[in-house]
Amino acid sequence: MKTLFGKVLTPSLTGRVRGGSFILLLGILPFLFTSCTYNKLVEQEETVDQKWADVQTQYQRRADLIPNLVNTVKGYAAHESETLEAVIAARSKATQITVNADDLTPEKLAEYQAAQGEVSQALGKLLAITENYPDLKANEQFSELQAQLEGTENRIAESRRIYNEAVQTYNVSVRRFPNNIWAMIFGFEKKTMFAAEAGAEKAPEVQF
Amino acid sequence: MRKLLLYIFLCIATVATAATYSVDNLPIPYLQDKTQYVSNPDDILSQTAVDSLNLWLGQMETEHGVQTVLAVVERIEGGDTYEFCMALGRKYGIGSKEQNTGLIILLSTGDRAYTILTGRGLEGKLPDAICKRIENRQMLPALREGDWDEAMLATVRAITKYVDGDPSLVGGSDFEHNVEDGFTTFGMLLLLAIGLIIFAVWKDRRKKSYCPSCHQYKMKRISSRVTTNRILGIRTHHDTYRCTHCHFTKELHWDEHINSGGMGAAAGGALGSSLFRGGGGFRGGSFGGHFGGGSFGGGGASGRF
Repeated sequence: MKTLFGKVLTPSLTGRVRGGSFILLLGILPFLFTSCTYNKLVEQEETVDQKWADVQTQYQRRADLIPNLVNTVKGYAAHESETLEAVIAARSKATQITVNADDLTPEKLAEYQAAQGEVSQALGKLLAITENYPDLKANEQFSELQAQLEGTENRIAESRRIYNEAVQTYNVSVRRFPNNIWAMIFGFEKKTMFAAEAGAEKAPEVQF
Repeated sequence: MRKLLLYIFLCIATVATAATYSVDNLPIPYLQDKTQYVSNPDDILSQTAVDSLNLWLGQMETEHGVQTVLAVVERIEGGDTYEFCMALGRKYGIGSKEQNTGLIILLSTGDRAYTILTGRGLEGKLPDAICKRIENRQMLPALREGDWDEAMLATVRAITKYVDGDPSLVGGSDFEHNVEDGFTTFGMLLLLAIGLIIFAVWKDRRKKSYCPSCHQYKMKRISSRVTTNRILGIRTHHDTYRCTHCHFTKELHWDEHINSGGMGAAAGGALGSSLFRGGGGFRGGSFGGHFGGGSFGGGGASGRF
């Protein structure tokens, strides 16, 4: 005999209660499921957008450091004007390209990355020639600027890594069954990751 | 002759080579004892220096909530102190989650490299340029002379000065949380144990008050008598219960071993042992520390000497 809170349940009553709640559950379940999936996708997309904003902030931070660095180097190595100008040109070109989080297409991202890569290369050259100026290297202001630049490069790498992680989480959600059905209905699309930097696959050459 | 010398040199070098540390095998004494911020597995720093550093870093955590790991080792895997610090930060989440005020200072004497890594929340007070300045002015001169103690002491002294000058860093939240957490867990265990005992007693009484005749919980004990059998070592309780509802009477007999001290002692023993187990984590009169899950964005400065 089944009892509930001390009362005896007749078979018909049990059946009715069970059947009723079962149908109710069946009716509600898809809605629960959809809203849950939808909310999760929205949340993850927001995270990706936010991480993308972080990446751009760090690149901007580097761009802000460049004029100061160039001016300091100029004081010691005025005749390296070609290298200095290359840095400034690459910087101004890169700062013109901004990509909004909602139109992060693979092409746009590649363009953005290429422009920033040029800045990295020009900066690398500039820092390489500073090796020839002992006075400059001994300058404390330059040393601190260089540390700021290094820190910013580190931050860029870290924010890119975190962005890629967020995109990966989001992409997995979008593509996994049955989420992919809802993603298709609500228009969630796969997002693009940063590719490894061109030239990063080659180990740096060391000369003695 | 030259070959022989080289061979001898190689032999000595092999013997003298200390362990190379990876992020996974670098000891973090803080986890066992929250007053120990310094990881000095190769005994490169003197004990006096370690004690001073622990004291200062402890103050920095209680007053400003800056949680530090300072490691001085012979060699690290990969030789890149920045990457090592980032991996360390990622693994342990040093610093509180709200403030992100973690700080990692690493010196690898064999790799001749060092890094000060600041958590996201510390980048304002300890920007990269300031970290570099501390390294250039305080750390480097001592490093060049091989005075590891002074290099670390001067660095931490300088960092403390910068951190002290920042009123926005609120202290102690993490530190006190930990202690509170410890007590909360202890208290919860105690409450749970007390609750269990009360429940057991209540259940027992309810069982005794059940009237088999009218199915109501109205039995009351009206008399009780104890007989003792010293030969068997058994004390027998004879309790008489009567139902206040239908006046049904029943007698309950239960035995108790004279030596056992009864049910109370058994429960007390269980309680005591469970509490003792709960307290097993505290070593040497001090709590093991825990890291708050702070994150690092790559701020700080590195260098070689």
